[in-house]
Amino acid sequence: MSVPPESTASVLPQAAPPEAVAFPPKELKKECEDILSRYPTRMAACLPVLLLAQQHYGGWISPEVEAGVASYLEVSDSHIRGLLTFYAMYNTKPAGRHEVWVCRTLTCWLRGAEKLRQTALDTAGVATCGTESDDGKFLIKNMECLGLCEVAPAVFIDGQPHVNVTPEKLTELMEACD
Amino acid sequence: MSNGKITIDGQVLDIVPGKTVIQIANDAGIGVQHYCYHPGLSIAGNCRICQVEVEGWDRPQISCKLQPSDGMVVHTQSEFAKDAREGTMEMLLVNHPLDCPICDQAGECHLQDYSYEVGQGAASSPTAKTNLPKNVPFGSKIVYDAERCIKCTLCVRFCEEVTETNELAMAGRSDHEIVIMTSQGEFETPYSMNIIDLCPVGALTSRDFRFKSRLWFMDFAESVCTGCARGCNVMTGGRDGSFLRMEPRENQAVNKWWMCDAGRLGYKAANVASRLEAPLVRNADGALVQVNWERAISAAGAALKGAPGDVLIDGGATLEEMALANDLAAAMGGKAKYAAATGEGDDFLVVAEKGANAAGAELLGLPRAKKASAASVVIVERGQHITASMRDKSGAVVVFAMDGEHVPDSAQVVFPLPSSAERNGLLVNCDGIVQAISSNTAIGPNNLADPIELIEDILGELDDGYDWRGRDGVLASIRALPAFAKVDFPAGYEAAGVGAGS
Amino acid sequence: MAAKKSASKKSASKKSSPKRGDDGRYPETKILSALFDVKDGWKLAVAKKHGAYKNLEKALKSMSPAEVIDEVKTSRVRGRGGAGFPTGVKWSFVPTETDKPKYLVLNADESEPGTFKDRWLMELDPHLVLEGCLLCAYATGVSTIYIYVRGEYPLSQERLWGAIHEARKAGLLGDKIMGTDFSCEAYVHTGAGAYICGEETGMLESLEGKRGHPRIKPPFPAVEGAFGCPTVINNVETLAHVPSIIEHGGQWFADMGIAPDPDNPRALGSSGTKLMGLSGDIKTPGCWEFEFGITVRELIEQYGGGALEGRTIKAVIPGGLSMPVLTADELDVPMGFDALVKVGSGLGTGTAIVMDDACDMVEACENIAHFFADESCGQCTPCREGCHWMEKIFTRIKAGDGTPADLDLLERLFINIEGRTICALADAAVWPLRSILRKFRHEFLAKMPGHTDPHEKDPHAEDPKASSEPAAVGAN
Ligand SMILES: Cc1cc2nc3c(=O)[nH]c(=O)nc-3n(C[C@H](O)[C@H](O)[C@H](O)COP(=O)(O)O)c2cc1C
Ligand code: SF4
Ligand code: SF4
Ligand code: SF4
Ligand code: FES
Ligand code: FES
Repeated sequence: MSVPPESTASVLPQAAPPEAVAFPPKELKKECEDILSRYPTRMAACLPVLLLAQQHYGGWISPEVEAGVASYLEVSDSHIRGLLTFYAMYNTKPAGRHEVWVCRTLTCWLRGAEKLRQTALDTAGVATCGTESDDGKFLIKNMECLGLCEVAPAVFIDGQPHVNVTPEKLTELMEACD
Repeated sequence: MSNGKITIDGQVLDIVPGKTVIQIANDAGIGVQHYCYHPGLSIAGNCRICQVEVEGWDRPQISCKLQPSDGMVVHTQSEFAKDAREGTMEMLLVNHPLDCPICDQAGECHLQDYSYEVGQGAASSPTAKTNLPKNVPFGSKIVYDAERCIKCTLCVRFCEEVTETNELAMAGRSDHEIVIMTSQGEFETPYSMNIIDLCPVGALTSRDFRFKSRLWFMDFAESVCTGCARGCNVMTGGRDGSFLRMEPRENQAVNKWWMCDAGRLGYKAANVASRLEAPLVRNADGALVQVNWERAISAAGAALKGAPGDVLIDGGATLEEMALANDLAAAMGGKAKYAAATGEGDDFLVVAEKGANAAGAELLGLPRAKKASAASVVIVERGQHITASMRDKSGAVVVFAMDGEHVPDSAQVVFPLPSSAERNGLLVNCDGIVQAISSNTAIGPNNLADPIELIEDILGELDDGYDWRGRDGVLASIRALPAFAKVDFPAGYEAAGVGAGS
Repeated sequence: MAAKKSASKKSASKKSSPKRGDDGRYPETKILSALFDVKDGWKLAVAKKHGAYKNLEKALKSMSPAEVIDEVKTSRVRGRGGAGFPTGVKWSFVPTETDKPKYLVLNADESEPGTFKDRWLMELDPHLVLEGCLLCAYATGVSTIYIYVRGEYPLSQERLWGAIHEARKAGLLGDKIMGTDFSCEAYVHTGAGAYICGEETGMLESLEGKRGHPRIKPPFPAVEGAFGCPTVINNVETLAHVPSIIEHGGQWFADMGIAPDPDNPRALGSSGTKLMGLSGDIKTPGCWEFEFGITVRELIEQYGGGALEGRTIKAVIPGGLSMPVLTADELDVPMGFDALVKVGSGLGTGTAIVMDDACDMVEACENIAHFFADESCGQCTPCREGCHWMEKIFTRIKAGDGTPADLDLLERLFINIEGRTICALADAAVWPLRSILRKFRHEFLAKMPGHTDPHEKDPHAEDPKASSEPAAVGAN
């Protein structure tokens, strides 16, 4: 029988578990407690607390934050990672100082979304969506319908919607970011 | 009152409350394919391979979730049902790496079986496959391959519902969904390796077993784990003298479908290099030398006549062995006692009592040896019950041991003891359930004598009038004991004298 | 509120759809949208001037919960979230005798492409939404309302939270509402970007802090929903209808729109009004409220301004992305639940996406398949694997590497995906794609030079002219 070579990396023990941040930080404590008070279980607070944490920690959830939130909400860190990788709005990698979402779904596509995406990538100087630009300024994300179809094509920059966007307007908006 | 009837493939069957169609079908011997369904876990209904046709319904139904109703007519083998399953199989294979030739699961892969059965050699498209992580360590014992994984979530549900330790979760979504593990790096549950058995494909493999042997070269036997007094029912697998693996066997009264990792890995003791393979006798120079069985038996008789005393037997030995140990001690005017370790237990399977047959010893009336004391005979399989000091301080002249490490200096005659995977006999578990271990002939050195026969032969040396009884006779005398009057024996052992073994 | 007054309260017999004007124009009816043009209509003070919460007061002080359910049943209002289930019937499934808490989860996930009507309601009249929720909560014995708003709707979240705070301050929410024995809390729960969380059980999982994997049913949410307790789930627009149903009576609502077909038990009618929307290749996209009866063509031509300059309309998906397309020839059908089913499509969310002759249908299919592949939660084999497979096939055809055998393969995949999954996302993926493939088959074949259609008379096409029709189907 031929035995495929087993990469040594996989035999080695895994990297040490990440060191959890102390969560919630002071600034978020009240809001986190407020969120928890709305639900009969701690787990139910996962989505809103993670959105809050993402905002607080520079636009993404690092393994250390993930571990901190997991222990605060008394769920496993794999559960939290399961959420982070399921929902489109979370980032598990550094997300740039500005996050640009370009809608790619049918209406926006009919109204020129592909050009917008290219404009966004060119302006940011990255090749693909989902990776932070080298200067740490932008993260471009391809999003599905943002619910702004009557004013398509639509773009979000840092959580704020922009509508009827043209490539020129998008360049302007992105250039205005610092 | 009847709960109504359901017809499956022409068989009219009783509806059993709480059972879905797949269970009713399986109980009636109508096998319905399934991947994501397991009777011990919640119903996920995601794999869709168990689809059947229900008369009057225009969509195929998943039998694992389907509630039967009176008069329902189900077909598992109609064109419609087969087409539905074939369609699902095609979807499963479109992204499945067809690496059966190097996959450990080959031979027990349900995907391989069913894809053969539904006649899909390969998915009907040259479409490029999705690349996903391979060779991912899940703790130190398990390796995960996301490309082979069919996302049935059995492993995740096991860690959620059975062990409640939640080490695993699904991550990603859509066709990038994979199973991930907690960044703690190791399973908290001592039952993690059950997910390997649960996995219907080769996505979870045992690092321990990887690439050791193709399945079809192995021999299997139904037996019982002797790691603790729970006595989980297992299937032993061996090849060419090596004990390769142990897997749980369903027994609702004992271990349901599961076993602990330590028990599963306990097979390794049978493979140690120092295993004894022939009887030994100490020569004039004080060295233990190999002799034939006859010489060893007569030497043992002589040694015991010179130094009669007690018999100290391993708490994992069988009822038959313990009963004979009792007779042997009586023949010497001594007593038989057993030794068994205690340790940690949990609230699931593992119990603190480690002597797999401690309850049997108690029924036989053997006292438990708590500390070292003198004995003429020591019968020791592994060192966990009869400790080094017990065995060394016993001064035993005749020793039955599985490996050379456990032989005290005082031994004049040494008999090689087959491991529990190589012997036949009965054990009484922590709940008083009598269960059989049975020998897997592909495991262990060739031609080891059965300790039952050896002890009887030694009894013959000590007592000219000894009447050989054989395993069946020994069993009959056990069953005649008042303590066993109300004890149920496993099927095959019901009538005394009908032993399964030699 | 002019429209409310003009709506005749007592009409003995079912009146027909509203009269088109002399110019043939189908009129708007402003009931849900009464405050859309009112400045600051989202503030409690303004909304109250226009009658906000007076219907809640009427119900709490003069009607029993069962009477509220009866009015909703009489109204024959059907769910506006896409499935069209009769709302009053759904409410009556909620057990009255239970010691568990009951929940209302308002489906404000609105992730269906081409759909934005709920956003208009939440942004422009959040108090109407909240009043509808409270009426539902009163009728079904709910004590906690979660409004599940998609994460991409920051203004909706803000306005709803604002409405909740204002209402609580004014004693319209919380303990002993308006001095009655009815107490109820409401919270906004924020989604984080997943279409599948609009599916009601995916939404429940998400609310509980899990991945939005739809649940296998039964049990149904009315019996075992959020946190294992009985739960009502309704769309925003559905519940926004309830205050006016309480004001004018269920019969008033039932008299509007299109009556049920007495000969077809599944044609439950399209009573009342509906927010309808348009987006895509038209001059004036937007959202309007009509009494049911307006046709797709009227909507596009009278309100959408018709095709863009120099273009002709080729295809329309009448309700979001998840419904079969209509060709330009098929637009003279009312935007109604049963009428659209009759022509092989569906009302869905009632917000249409229009494609004109500049749209390449193969590329449109790739775009649509990508959406569903991307948004499949990943649980079920046919959906997880099938949606991606379909996308890859469309990509292949687009690149000129397809053959007619791919079209047969697609047809087989449609069969193996539709109706074989836990939730309806997989069906939603199949419907637009299959209808485009069948109605615009020539566009697919045109990308396969050197191949002729092996099925000269396409055996799959229900409509024989669909596949033989020349390229300019929309030209008329
Ligand atoms: C994939 C999928 C997505 C859905 N998305 C939404 C949605 O965004 N909003 C909504 O109200 N209903 C949505 N639905 C329908 C809901 O499951 C449910 O039928 C509805 O919320 C019930 O409310 P209604 O009866 O008031 O319409 C979706 C269904 C499916 C299968
Ligand atoms: S690893 Fe195996 S058991 Fe786990 S989800 Fe994948 S196929 Fe199922
Ligand atoms: S619980 Fe005990 S008997 Fe069962 S596998 Fe573990 S050690 Fe063996
Ligand atoms: S049909 Fe698709 S989205 Fe729905 S549960 Fe199955 S995999 Fe998830
Ligand atoms: S399709 Fe882009 S916002 Fe709806
Ligand atoms: S076994 Fe029934 S759906 Fe998987």
